[in-house]
Amino acid sequence: MTVIKTENLVKVYNSKHLPVRAVNNVSLEIEEGEFTAIVGPSGSGKTTLLNIIGGLDKPTEGKVTIADTDITGLSDSKLIDFRLKNIGFVFQAYNLIPVLTARENVNFIMLLQGRSQREMNERAEELLTQVGLSDKMDVRPNKLSGGQQQRVAVARALASHPRFILADEPTANLDSQSAMNLLDIMWKLNQEENITLVFSTHDQRVIDRARRVVTLVDGSIAKDEVREPVVPAQ
Amino acid sequence: MKTIFKISWRNVWRNKARSLVIILAIGFGLWGGIFATAFLNGVIQQMFDSGIKSHVSHIQIHHPEYDQERLTELYVDGYDEVEQFLSESDEVVAFSSRTIASGMFNTASMVSGVEVIGIDPTQEKLTTDLKAHLVEGEYFNGEFAHPVLIGKQLADKVKVDPGSRIVLTFQNMEGDITSAAFRVAGIYRTANSGIDERNVYIMRNEMEELLGSDGIVNEMAILLNHHEQSGEFREKLQQAFPDHEIRIWSEIAPELSFMTEFSGIAMLVLVIIILFAMAFGLLNTMLMTIFERTNELGVLMSVGMNKGRVFLMIMYETCFLVITGAVLGGVLGVITVMLTGSSGIDLTSLGGEVLMEYGIDTIVFPTLDRIFYLNLSLLVLVTAVAASVYPAWKALKLNPAEAVRKE
Repeated sequence: MTVIKTENLVKVYNSKHLPVRAVNNVSLEIEEGEFTAIVGPSGSGKTTLLNIIGGLDKPTEGKVTIADTDITGLSDSKLIDFRLKNIGFVFQAYNLIPVLTARENVNFIMLLQGRSQREMNERAEELLTQVGLSDKMDVRPNKLSGGQQQRVAVARALASHPRFILADEPTANLDSQSAMNLLDIMWKLNQEENITLVFSTHDQRVIDRARRVVTLVDGSIAKDEVREPVVPAQ
Repeated sequence: MKTIFKISWRNVWRNKARSLVIILAIGFGLWGGIFATAFLNGVIQQMFDSGIKSHVSHIQIHHPEYDQERLTELYVDGYDEVEQFLSESDEVVAFSSRTIASGMFNTASMVSGVEVIGIDPTQEKLTTDLKAHLVEGEYFNGEFAHPVLIGKQLADKVKVDPGSRIVLTFQNMEGDITSAAFRVAGIYRTANSGIDERNVYIMRNEMEELLGSDGIVNEMAILLNHHEQSGEFREKLQQAFPDHEIRIWSEIAPELSFMTEFSGIAMLVLVIIILFAMAFGLLNTMLMTIFERTNELGVLMSVGMNKGRVFLMIMYETCFLVITGAVLGGVLGVITVMLTGSSGIDLTSLGGEVLMEYGIDTIVFPTLDRIFYLNLSLLVLVTAVAASVYPAWKALKLNPAEAVRKE
């Protein structure tokens, strides 16, 4: 089943003075359960493409369909609601809410969805345990390492039962060990729970784990390959 | 909602130093504002009360031409019927019927022009603060035959003390000059030095004797339960006694009316200045907060926090800062007003005598109505909400995709 479909996406910045085509005629289909890495040099349009797929930015031309919804036609408020229900985000700089504990950060998404307190607590505990932070649930982000914060961010992204997770350079700020831990968790989620993952990355370790690698150059798809990922050691 | 509330409250304390600075600024600003307003209100209230209780009262009744001519023969006809009416009216606390003549105050060596006022001591004591204002000697207590009360200003001018013998001279009802010797029984001092120099009080029966006629009442001063009853009660009196001139305090002493209106405007201006300063301080703080937290706000919007909740969060943060500061300032203000309101603030060392020339008591008792605190609380809240709108709007204008990339 196709989860994400982009058709002839174009994104032009500074269109009046110095037009820059950050994304140029990108058409892409991502199936449910795929682990896709979008790679390319800096300025190739990876983040812009991810932002458009995630509904954070609007394309200049083309459309994005998530499941059966054309999100390019949604109003801002409907788009926010759509993101809340369908998309999980993991950012490069973790971006947890600093005044909330790990558990509260995970709960927050569910709270916005109007879940019950009991449901929120159960899900948060389950997710934080899954990412190996059962002993850090009531700790605020400033008391967690970068790797731990990013794992909370993953748990937060999963909290709303999204259709897919978008991760923008999730390992860029992590040390080697933390990056590998995170990748193992993400791999496991993908393999065991069939969670669709779309990463933008420079990191070869991430690329190695992906089943599909889409290479962008100057905003256009230069290569789109499906291959066997490197399986983590058990 | 609870979580947004919790996040907002915790956000306030993320930058403790900055939040404390703005909270203290709001708190001390309001404290100062409340105290300054209470002080001003106290001064005005005392000047008003002093004006009302020293001589004016809430309503005065005269012969229709008395105010222009000021002649003793222009008296209130049938004053006993008016007294009967006043005695039966619930609105009336007390009244004083006065006989008035312009005359001369003579000592062995000095002469001064005065207004001789014949009063019933019991009526006058209930109607005005004349007795309470005595600073030397006694009220009409029978110690002296033919007693007279004079003001401190006049006493100092003609150099007399209690017990001094003086002579009062004025025209009787026949138009002849009449004089009589009196003993200074007491010396009063009000907050109005003009009154203290001009008015001398003797007993009305003695004055009528000197005038050669009974039932001469030139002025009936009426004290009501509250000054706001004045207009309505005047109407009632005017209907009952259409031939008399009946005026209320704001017509008799327009300066008192001006003063109360001025104090209202002055207090409003003071409060508005403080609230404006508070609003701009808040605006600055909240804009800095939005600027610093652009990334975080972008993330919140990215993960699905709608604009209404973002707006609410910023508004809560602003309101928390204001409410914390306002509670601090309010509590300090109420305590200060209560303490100084009961003990008073002595302004003697700041030129008390000069202040008295302007009708201001040397001891000021700051005071504020409860309604002021209620209005101030509402205004503070309105200011908080108003000051939060622009920063919240700025937050809503953020593009989540750009905001999440901002370091």
